[in-house]
Amino acid sequence: MAKKTTKKVTKKETKKEKIDKSKKLIQALKNHGAQIYEDLENGEFPKFSIPNRSISNIIYDKKLRQYVLGTNSSLRSARNSSQLRSFTQLLWLAFFANKLTHEKKSSTLRDVYYSSQAFAVDFEDQQESDNIIVDLEAVLSQPREDFFVFPEERSSIFGDLTIEYTIPGYEGKTQNLSSHPDGYAIGPSMTSAQLTDTSAELVIAIEKGGLFTRFVEEQVDKKFKSIIINTGGQAPRSTRTLLKRLHDELGLPVVILTDGDVYGEHIAMVIKSGSANAAHLRELTVPDAKWMGVWATDIDKFKLPTIPMTESDIKRCYDLLKDPRYEEGLWKRELEVFIKIKRKAELEAFSKYGLTNITEKYLPKKLEESKSF
Amino acid sequence: MSSKENFNQISPSEFFYRNRDLAGFSNPTRSLYTAVREFVENSLDACDHSGILPNIHMTIKAVDPEKPDPKPYILTVKDNGPGIPSKHVPLAFGTVLYGSKFGLKQARGMFGLGATMAILYGQITTNKPVKVKSNADGKTRFDFEMKLDIQKNKPVIMKKQETSSSEQGLSVSITLEGDYAKAGTKIRDYVYQTSLITPYATITFDDPKGEKFHHKSIIRSMPPAPTVIAPHPYGIDVETIRRMLVDTHYQIPNVDDKMIEKIRKELGMSKSKFTYKEIMKKTEKKWKSLTRPIRVVIALMSFLEADFEQLQKIRIEDVDLRNNKLVYWDYSTSQTLAVDMDTESPYYKQLANTVQGESLTHFLTKRFQRVGPTAALEFCKFAKFKPETRVGNMTDQELVKLSDALQTYEGFRSPDPTCLAPLGAEPLEKGIQRRFEPDFMAVVQRTASAYSGFPFVIEMGIAYGGKIESRGTNVYRFANRIPLLYDEGSDVVLKVVKDTDWNRYKVKSDSAPFIIVSHICSTRVPYKTVGKENVADRPEIEKELRLALQFLSRKLSGYMSKKGQAEAAKKRANLYSKYLPLVAQFCTELSGKKKEPNYKKMIKEETALNNTDQNKEVENNG
Repeated sequence: MAKKTTKKVTKKETKKEKIDKSKKLIQALKNHGAQIYEDLENGEFPKFSIPNRSISNIIYDKKLRQYVLGTNSSLRSARNSSQLRSFTQLLWLAFFANKLTHEKKSSTLRDVYYSSQAFAVDFEDQQESDNIIVDLEAVLSQPREDFFVFPEERSSIFGDLTIEYTIPGYEGKTQNLSSHPDGYAIGPSMTSAQLTDTSAELVIAIEKGGLFTRFVEEQVDKKFKSIIINTGGQAPRSTRTLLKRLHDELGLPVVILTDGDVYGEHIAMVIKSGSANAAHLRELTVPDAKWMGVWATDIDKFKLPTIPMTESDIKRCYDLLKDPRYEEGLWKRELEVFIKIKRKAELEAFSKYGLTNITEKYLPKKLEESKSF
Repeated sequence: MSSKENFNQISPSEFFYRNRDLAGFSNPTRSLYTAVREFVENSLDACDHSGILPNIHMTIKAVDPEKPDPKPYILTVKDNGPGIPSKHVPLAFGTVLYGSKFGLKQARGMFGLGATMAILYGQITTNKPVKVKSNADGKTRFDFEMKLDIQKNKPVIMKKQETSSSEQGLSVSITLEGDYAKAGTKIRDYVYQTSLITPYATITFDDPKGEKFHHKSIIRSMPPAPTVIAPHPYGIDVETIRRMLVDTHYQIPNVDDKMIEKIRKELGMSKSKFTYKEIMKKTEKKWKSLTRPIRVVIALMSFLEADFEQLQKIRIEDVDLRNNKLVYWDYSTSQTLAVDMDTESPYYKQLANTVQGESLTHFLTKRFQRVGPTAALEFCKFAKFKPETRVGNMTDQELVKLSDALQTYEGFRSPDPTCLAPLGAEPLEKGIQRRFEPDFMAVVQRTASAYSGFPFVIEMGIAYGGKIESRGTNVYRFANRIPLLYDEGSDVVLKVVKDTDWNRYKVKSDSAPFIIVSHICSTRVPYKTVGKENVADRPEIEKELRLALQFLSRKLSGYMSKKGQAEAAKKRANLYSKYLPLVAQFCTELSGKKKEPNYKKMIKEETALNNTDQNKEVENNG
């Protein structure tokens, strides 16, 4: 039980951290507002400095093991008539984010788009409002989830983990995530909740809902003392944040199980080291996460039934080879094997050898293996 | 071949009757329009050439308004021009290819062909005579009713009447098959556009539906009239040279009573009968004062040793310089006779010069424009002719060689534009101003240029905004003050307009209220068809059009960017008024302040600032 106690100690720290983070955000927004207020009062045109997110300003930071933005940034001034509109939109979003954070009310990207219309700030389409949201993320260096803007939920979690809600109306309520076999959606209330207690020693992120259900049925959570997370394809940022918290706050190792193809490999990589799209954000990566499979080399090793790769699959392999993160080790080796065999295998391919083959044979073997890399 | 073919000469009337499509009389719609044009243009030409400010009244009336189109219409065009002397009326309106326009100067029509064609067309479709009322002296008006004898190309006068009237001018009225329902738009456009390019004319049109279109003259002065000039070497062909050679001055004159009377006068002889010797004696004394034709006749008499009486009994057939023989037909004996000519006689030279014509250099300098003595000598060198070559002696082959050389020699100065009658920049500007009332306009008159020996001048105007109702690029094409309405697709002006990248000049060419007026003046506009509706793309003309359009477009572009700046400033001011209040509202709430910042002065300042910026720009451009 010693382990559990240590985890409970961290809990208080995280709570404090969480509150600090929220306060810091509110303070940052207020500072921006005050600066703009002052500019107007002095008869000067206010402006935002926005880190440049163009490809030329995205660089790979080997130390951080993720993509980050360079030092280039652009000014968005209220004086410039072609920027005035988007300046106003950005300020409105800051104002709206401030409101959401204060009231702890979550909203979706689509909500933001429609909310703007109540303030005579018009977005031409959701694309435009989504872009402004990313602008604000970049200005604040914080993901939108921090200011309560969430994507549609599609990933879920299951396992022995107790959480304590912080959202209004549920404050202090606790929930154990092993009570409902379909799993729990990873939404705003989950991401903002305190992680209070767990007996798990491992987090297994799995790409597909079907396999997630299989794992719950086969009681992988109990057999392997694990928390199971369905990423639903490419993991949403709220899921990645949760994975990071499980790793950082509870000290749980994270392993990733994907289809045996180039896209699966990249899903694992994004959890591990983020995406170029989110180069303006930190705190979204789990650098210690391990891709457990299905590797290209597993296909032959486990005699998996395969399907041929398409032209675009192969092209994707070559594209990724140019990515600095794929320059060496396992990542490079597996890509090259994919290119060589030109075939891929899905997680379901194990069913050829019985429905439980994956949990009874493959999983233990790979888990054992993963300890060594 | 057993079949017999008949080779008959046909009269010009017959030719045009058979080929009336060529002249624009292909169907009732087109024919009505063409007839209107021909009569209106004849009237304008007549007024222009006599320096009268034109006042033209046109009426089109249906013979039976109830009938559906196409149906007979009565077309009447009345002007205040010089009229036509009564003795010329039958020929002018009753024969094809009769006219006063054979000189080389700019005029709307070329040969007076069209009016007769219209009359011919009227006659064959309705069998009604043409009615002409002409008052040439401001005292008497002659009214004619006549028809055309197509086969003989001769007028048939059916009625002639004289009344006293002080109103000078001409009125022509024909009845013809037409389709006003279809041709109406074009005719109204024609009248309108004619008034645009003839701002000194008053034009009234009473249409068959009882509508009146009245375009009053805008200016009271006429542009300078063109002068008739000699042709330019580039614009000449073999046939023209041949005709120039057979000019009356250098022919053996006819000897008739008139001529004899003239000779007696010049020699100062009062008696009616003179012997040969007496004549020769008188001649020796008076030679220097004698005119050329007289000298020629006397030279003939010297070889024939004939007096006036004898001279009238013969006809000179040939002056054969090679064999030094004078060949003549004797009426009294009805045979061809010949006498030898003494090459030593002073009269021989006179006769030889006449028959051989002038020297080539003399011919070139005197009979062409833009050829001086130096240029003539240079040309002879180029063409490998001896400068003193007698043009009358030239063989057919030499004439062809001469004609070719005239067109290939590059040393001649460009044609004389004084035979052109451009409208002038100012009248054109006034015309556009009055008819369109645009926000912006510019006009340009290019200096004269030439294509294949024919001088031409391009005038162009461009106008934007204001009361221009049409949208998109609207091109008004004119040639020699005639509006060109049909066949615009293949016209050189439209080609040049179409080739222009209007975005460069900040003009939205498909939606802007934007017009271009183009006027080509030339002694010969290179029309693509006899219908005179579109101008062929000669490189020289195309280049001039392009330069004119570029010049005007640049001016328009200047205006457009000023206009654009003004609009942008206004737009910016609107943006500030829309967004700054929002910015103030959001930042107040975000920073937790109670009162909004004082930002309103910024909107005002910024707007004012923009205006001064713009004024500066205007000054710079000016």
